[in-house]
Amino acid sequence: MKLNIEGLLVYFPYDYIYPEQYSYMLELKRTLDAKGHGVLEMPSGTGKTISLLSLIVAYQRVSSAFPLDVTKLIYCSRTVPEIEKVVEELRKLMEFYAKETGERNNFLALALSSRKNLCIHPEVSSLRFGKEVDGKCHSLTASYIRAQRHVNPNQPVCRFYEEFDAVGRQVPLPAGIYNLDDLKDFGRRKGWCPYYLARYAILHANIVVYSYHYLLDPKIADLVSKELAKKSVVVFDEAHNIDNVCIDSMSVNITRRTLDRCQNNVDTLQNTIQKIKETDAAKLREEYRRLVEGLKEANVARETDIYLSNPVLPDEILKEAVPGTIRTAEHFVGFLRRFLEYLKSRLRVHHVVQESAPQFLKDIFDKVCIDRKPLRFCAERLQSLLRTLEIADIADFSAVTLISNFATLVSTYSQGFTIIIEPFEDRTPTIANPVLHFSCMDPSIAIKPVFQRFQSVIITSGTLSPLDIYPRILDFRPVTMASFTMTLNTFNVCLCLVALSSKFETREDFAVIRNYGNLLLEMSAVVPDGIVAFFTSYVYMENIVASWYEQGILENIQRNKLIFIETQDAAETSMALEKYQEACENGRGAILLSVARGKVSEGIDFVHHFGRAVIMFGVPYVYTQSRILKARLEYLRDQFQIRENDFLTFDAMRHAAQCVGRAIRGKTDYGLMIFADKRYARADKRGKLPRWIQEHINDGSLNLTVDETVQLSKHFLRQMAQPFRQEDQLGLSLLTLEQLESEEMLQKITQIAHQT
Amino acid sequence: PTEPFALIICINPRLMRHLFVVIDCSRSMEDQDLKPNRLTSTLKLMEAFIDGYFDQNPISQVGIITTKNKRAEKLTDLAGNPKKHIAMLKKAVDTVCVGEPSLYNSLKLAIQTLKHMPGHTSREILIILSSLTTCDPANIYEMTKTLKSLNVRVSIIGLSAEVRVCTVLTRETGGSYHVILDESHFKELLMLHVKPPPTSSSSECSLIRMGFPQHTIGSLADQDAKPAFSMSHLDSSSGPSLGGYFCPQCHSNYTELPVECKVCGLTLVSAPHLARSFHHLFPLDAFIESPVEEHQRNGYDFCQACQGELKDKSIFTCPSCRSVFCVECDLFIHDSLHCCPSCIHSQTAS
Repeated sequence: MKLNIEGLLVYFPYDYIYPEQYSYMLELKRTLDAKGHGVLEMPSGTGKTISLLSLIVAYQRVSSAFPLDVTKLIYCSRTVPEIEKVVEELRKLMEFYAKETGERNNFLALALSSRKNLCIHPEVSSLRFGKEVDGKCHSLTASYIRAQRHVNPNQPVCRFYEEFDAVGRQVPLPAGIYNLDDLKDFGRRKGWCPYYLARYAILHANIVVYSYHYLLDPKIADLVSKELAKKSVVVFDEAHNIDNVCIDSMSVNITRRTLDRCQNNVDTLQNTIQKIKETDAAKLREEYRRLVEGLKEANVARETDIYLSNPVLPDEILKEAVPGTIRTAEHFVGFLRRFLEYLKSRLRVHHVVQESAPQFLKDIFDKVCIDRKPLRFCAERLQSLLRTLEIADIADFSAVTLISNFATLVSTYSQGFTIIIEPFEDRTPTIANPVLHFSCMDPSIAIKPVFQRFQSVIITSGTLSPLDIYPRILDFRPVTMASFTMTLNTFNVCLCLVALSSKFETREDFAVIRNYGNLLLEMSAVVPDGIVAFFTSYVYMENIVASWYEQGILENIQRNKLIFIETQDAAETSMALEKYQEACENGRGAILLSVARGKVSEGIDFVHHFGRAVIMFGVPYVYTQSRILKARLEYLRDQFQIRENDFLTFDAMRHAAQCVGRAIRGKTDYGLMIFADKRYARADKRGKLPRWIQEHINDGSLNLTVDETVQLSKHFLRQMAQPFRQEDQLGLSLLTLEQLESEEMLQKITQIAHQT
Repeated sequence: PTEPFALIICINPRLMRHLFVVIDCSRSMEDQDLKPNRLTSTLKLMEAFIDGYFDQNPISQVGIITTKNKRAEKLTDLAGNPKKHIAMLKKAVDTVCVGEPSLYNSLKLAIQTLKHMPGHTSREILIILSSLTTCDPANIYEMTKTLKSLNVRVSIIGLSAEVRVCTVLTRETGGSYHVILDESHFKELLMLHVKPPPTSSSSECSLIRMGFPQHTIGSLADQDAKPAFSMSHLDSSSGPSLGGYFCPQCHSNYTELPVECKVCGLTLVSAPHLARSFHHLFPLDAFIESPVEEHQRNGYDFCQACQGELKDKSIFTCPSCRSVFCVECDLFIHDSLHCCPSCIHSQTAS
């Protein structure tokens, strides 16, 4: 259908539309009009993706007529399957455009992923790990390798890359929609490398779909995204965890193993330098000359707005030349050695040390006379050296790269980071395993360039409540913040808050564990197919399962359903997940015991029968004894005036909402959501749940006993099993064009968006 | 007395049904959300179902299977005698409900018999499932394929909640899947299965011979009367009788119809049986509803059937003979009679 959204003609590829989708597009349009950033929360399964795509594509099409310009959409998602889903939706939209307007539009949209997912080289693509693929690819395509081929024709190179390099850049990728497989097919047909083709094509594509890291991780963003147009709309989908992604991309953990590997790297560097000096001293001299001139080129590019700035490479150092102390290759290696020795000495501690970046710099200056300035150039200098030395396999040098990144970061940012050195893990205080955490506490550092560079940044997810906290921790000013609810003709969610306690003090209590067991046992008898139960941590889950076993509860549960357990081992977990789904599929019924914040809670959807009930045992607070967390809380309090408790509760509730949200993935889906903890009933917790969950909480679902929950569930499940017809939805939660345009409905729609 | 005779009748699957009812007897049947418990309630409703089934499908057959403890066993074999089934159902009330049901085993047991049934009859399975799980020795989806290839239709009534495997099973075999809300809803859903399901296009029709024996009342005074044992009661120790239904082909004696002759294999029915079965094939058209005022102007004040005054808001007109009926009579005609009395009257008159 064709919609008119405040004067903008939007093609929507379906015959029906949910009212909240309309409302969502309305808010989105206002955000784009204002050229600002937005935070939008809408429950999963209500067609967020298609609403986003329809509106932005419509916006791009008319942008020539409008004074404001949107040339590109950068859609960031979390996982490869999600990326593929977005591309499929886009394909549907474009087919609709072609049908309605009758013309082939010259729209180019493509997905980009790592080499591992895009490589078509027969040998390289057969490798199993992403790192191996990257390394192998690099050893076939690096510029000096290819230069060597001119001398030595036996030098193996990647023929796909050669072919692409020869002709691929002159001919633009024909317009169309490309997912990863399409790119590979195209690459095979033409004999071009799909990965480099995609990386090149994103510069002139209208829509790019890729992972967060291509924009947020400074190391990758620098390679891939720095030339993307300023007039782009950036969308972060499923962005409820964006602050953690930012933090992770800027944090560095250094263990003794890292240092050992780094030592090896440095030795290799030394040897290579020695060799080159004997054979090709001119090359080193050339590098020296380049370094004297400084990083001017990069600086010019950034000033003229061509590049996305990189937080690892701060603006100030671009204006300067690389300091003399590390300009020659030997000196730099010597410098690295000294730095490494210093780090080794720091790791020989017996108690926990926590210090700020300035303290660390002062200490390093006092002990080994390393100044702040050369440290700041460390990362850049290393890159230059690796280029000069023509080292093929970059993957081997990850340790020394990590250390040099650390050096640059620690000397650049005096605020927002903390250094914690722990001699052992908390759980195993007898085993020495020293770790240096260089931990970022301010997610805004990593995302700042994105906000500064791009015209509009949209942060959206099913669970972003409370909305106002995201702008605060990411330090930006949104023009729209809105939360949308799901309009339903029936309640397809049954929410139960069971009055059981798992407060830290009482959770080892025998009675509490037995009550939890009883709840699960009773539910396993009334809920069909799959149940997913979430615990607060792996340790807690292990304890509980062990005592259930002793009490015989486990045996009773197994009479009703099979039990699968998520572990920290990824392979084991995916095996368990597979078997779980099989058991749900063939009527055996199964329970998956998993952990909030684990792999299952974040990336895996339990549609329909795979998750008829979700039980959340306890409130998933983070492990509050962690020093990194404590430092971060302190920072939040000092910098953003966010109280520790508020943040902890916010964090716990978003994970709880994320967990229970796994079960409802659309309007025809239904499921029970059970919060098994008394504390959820409190106003401060309830208030932080997303609005679409809060709306289902009524007095009848608060503080239930196990028996009441069972009765409620039985009734609910029978109601839900009744045949469901689309006609029932029409006009209420599903609208045709006429219904949408009625006065009354427009009135209603304005109420869906809940502004804050 | 007229000679008993045999006719050749065109039969399609809606006329002759073969239905296996699988009753879950697993642990979950002891649940007391149906009073007094699920098992007792189910068995009671089943009795009503069996009665209704044979009332509507007199020349069809039913068998009952129970499943518990991961096994399935036959309670009664496919047969056309409601009394036997009901007696067995009454006995089954004392069954101990243990373990889990097995859909696979039940279906396997059912198709062992059903697959031998001729193509012009229907092959149906109705499962009453209380449990939320099934314990199967093999992949149930393989079984689904077998069922599909054998043209067996599986319908399920769930007593607790929607189970995925049931959804798939019924969807693939073209059956229906319902979950009960309460006891009255249960009854309603069960009674839906009394009527034959709509035929698939692939179903074959064929001509079979059927016998229409007439009932004779023999008396000792009659010299021609020959006492005979009823073939259907040979096992029970009732003595020979003089009267009964005699097979037109081999003159075996039967006390009840319909029955398949044990000697010559001829299906013995009576005409009314056939008539009642046929109405599913040729359903009576719905009567046209219209407001009562229009017709009163035309002078129709009385219902053709009950001759009562038309007092309700709307009246119903038969599309073929234009006779007018009241609401009650319309319901009675469509639900029980299956033919318009006025049409029949005019046929006989002409």
